[in-house]
Amino acid sequence: MSGYVLQRLLQAALVMVAMSAIVFVGVYAIGNPVDIVIPPEATQEIRAATIARLGLDLPLWQQYLIFVRNLFDGDLGRSFIYNEPVLSLIAGRLPATLELVLLSVLSATVFGIALGVYAGYRPDSVLAKAIMAVSVLGFSVPTFWIGLILILTFAVNLGWLPAGGRGQTVDLLGVAWSFPTLDGLRHLVLPAVNLALFKFAMMIRLARAGTREVMLGDTIKFARAAGIRESTILRRHLLKLISIPIITVFGLELGSTLAFAVVTETIFSWPGVGKLIIDSIAVLDRPVMVAYLLLTTLLFVVINLTVDLLFALIDPRIRARGAA
Amino acid sequence: MTTFRTPRARRALALILAGLASAAGSAHAQDGTLVMGVRGGPESLDPHYSALGSHAEAAKHIYDTLVWSGDDLQIEPGLATSWEVVDDTTWEFKLREGVKFHDGSDFDAEDVKFSIERIPLVSGPTTTTIYVRRVADVEVIDPLTVRIKTDGPAATLPYDFVRLFIVSSEAAADYSTPETANEGFNGGPAAVGTGPYKLVSWEPKGDLVLERYDEYWRGKGPWAEVIRKEMPNDSSRLAALKAGQVDVINYVSSIDYLALQRDASVEAVVGDSVYVMNLQLDQRDEPPGVRAIDGGALESNPLQDPSVREAIDLAIDRETMVQVVLEGLGKPANQMMPPGFFGSNASIAMPEHDPAKARELLAEAGYPDGFEIDLYCTSDRLPGDGAICQGLGQMLSQVGIRTNVNAISKTVYFPAQGRLEYSVFMNGWGTLTGEASYTLGSLAHSNDPELKLGAYNRVDYANDDVDRLLQEGATELDDDKRRALYEEAMAKTMADKVYISLVQLQTVWAAKANTVTFAPRFDEDTLAFFIQPKN
Repeated sequence: MSGYVLQRLLQAALVMVAMSAIVFVGVYAIGNPVDIVIPPEATQEIRAATIARLGLDLPLWQQYLIFVRNLFDGDLGRSFIYNEPVLSLIAGRLPATLELVLLSVLSATVFGIALGVYAGYRPDSVLAKAIMAVSVLGFSVPTFWIGLILILTFAVNLGWLPAGGRGQTVDLLGVAWSFPTLDGLRHLVLPAVNLALFKFAMMIRLARAGTREVMLGDTIKFARAAGIRESTILRRHLLKLISIPIITVFGLELGSTLAFAVVTETIFSWPGVGKLIIDSIAVLDRPVMVAYLLLTTLLFVVINLTVDLLFALIDPRIRARGAA
Repeated sequence: MTTFRTPRARRALALILAGLASAAGSAHAQDGTLVMGVRGGPESLDPHYSALGSHAEAAKHIYDTLVWSGDDLQIEPGLATSWEVVDDTTWEFKLREGVKFHDGSDFDAEDVKFSIERIPLVSGPTTTTIYVRRVADVEVIDPLTVRIKTDGPAATLPYDFVRLFIVSSEAAADYSTPETANEGFNGGPAAVGTGPYKLVSWEPKGDLVLERYDEYWRGKGPWAEVIRKEMPNDSSRLAALKAGQVDVINYVSSIDYLALQRDASVEAVVGDSVYVMNLQLDQRDEPPGVRAIDGGALESNPLQDPSVREAIDLAIDRETMVQVVLEGLGKPANQMMPPGFFGSNASIAMPEHDPAKARELLAEAGYPDGFEIDLYCTSDRLPGDGAICQGLGQMLSQVGIRTNVNAISKTVYFPAQGRLEYSVFMNGWGTLTGEASYTLGSLAHSNDPELKLGAYNRVDYANDDVDRLLQEGATELDDDKRRALYEEAMAKTMADKVYISLVQLQTVWAAKANTVTFAPRFDEDTLAFFIQPKN
């Protein structure tokens, strides 16, 4: 097992090297960040001095080598734009994104599976059809549009919830969180719903498909024949059997939502990492882009690894194969 | 849904929903708090870090500048009460008496010297060194007098100082290197100014929370608390205003502005902007992206021919651009600065729109079938820039200049423009200081690093008369004479039609109806101190 983990981490390192090189070359091809942000009064001399101070006058390979050398000292560099260490810059925004994403992915999964299992269990009921209709909507309507409609309905017309921002936060373990306060929760609701909708729809469909398939299988037949209560069958047998694809998708969705919650964050003025990375791309803030992509790669690797390990925990067949 | 089956659980749910609902939609303007929803924010709370407009706008709440720039960008006393020329390379500034920093310490000449000398040490890539580029030395004469030695006659020094923020030489003493500055200022201990508001808290890209400074030298501000919320998305900012979450917003888009006129609950305030859209025409011998109509090479650069440039100018219908493309939020422009600025020339006529004559001129110049150009513009920098670009392309195509329109992101546009890859391009230019040396000195003078002039002249424009006038203007310390020099330089530059000004933009703010009043500022700043509650 440890050999397997090591192999995965090695793969990740390779991907990260390739990723950082691509960002360096890409940004270099677009041009010089200084040209975007320097004020118009700047003389030729001031421009050259600014470029030199950021180390952008060096040849590309030299810039990359400096980056790699610093990386081995645990230093991901400083943002061109904010002149802050990129790690603290990203760490400062991460809690905001984290709580938003966790809330939305978890609630989408819990409600999605519940409704999906019901829709698969009673496929011909009116409620099941209604659930499936909603899920089509969740799939096909673009996130930014739903976000605007949510704001229009619940913030502008009804005035129930705030239209954006993060609201009151409290410090827990040295990090600012907004979910423990009522004001923070009120700010969380709309963006979380917006972000959850697509995942909710997907979870419904996955759970429904899995349920329909498993319900017709031998496991359920034998369990019923053995006289086990229907609710126990659902809980102990059905849920376990449909959980493998759901966990895979959950992991992938968690990662991609953490990394790319940007649309929702922009519409709801949510101060998370998604906004940070988009702003950084707009001004070619290379250190932030590189660090962010490296961390994202690492995140995906860790999540996928966790998912794989979870499989082994849930499915004895996989466990047996791994041990062999 | 078994959870909510019991009456008790149902009551609890109802309570939660009621709680959620009750706190929303509260108007703030009544209880002494002003909440502003703004598009952009500061990059740090160190006022010397960035020259970005939104950075300076936020800084103006906490800090004062040495010289104040008024609503129409006229210079007025700020922390300096008066200034005068001592000799060719020396300015003397008299400082305001009795001004105290937020921590109770006195403001004096040492703080001015400290702030000026600090700037080159801590400036970021949007460099603030531009404000002190002419300063050679700072001399403290007495606590309320400071003399600035310049590297040559510097006529516009007071204009440079409208963004010279003064920080406390004591509070910021330990926070004046690139490594420590942001830590000291963003964490609070160094963020001590003399401005109308004191810092309470700030979250990057989030909320800036401020509290009134009662000893402010201009008098007590109208709001006990000010919250400046960053909301980059235009629709979200407007929604927050309509939902009652914020009291004032800036940068309402032209589409939203049309809709707002039918909405009685929201008031719009329209102000002129410093930004003018300029079309720029390459004067090099071999311009990239200019070719014959069949795609082949041309014998010479048609843009070097004055009558071709005249034809391009005649092809442009500025009135339509304002009314149709900008939904009325703009004005036709005939020069690179708004009217009334120091050096704007009132005698320049508004160019005509005459496509027939444009075709004639093209034919006479040897291009009866026209030619082909690639037109580049920004599409995400200023309101309407992409749409103006499209309109411009159609107008030029109509007279026979086949135009390929490329409205692209500023992220790609500015670096490529800096590499001189474009021959026909359009972007906005804002005369942020309100005077001509800023604009003409950067664009109209030939590119000369020795003289530090023409840094943004990316079309190889060179007119000896203009160069001479601008050099004289830069060292002429008499205001009236200098104004005449710049007016003449402006007239000559515009007559050459290498730079063709199209439209001056306008900016829209919005507020809940009947809550606040304020005068729009030319530099587009939204300043809480100058926003007055109604009644």
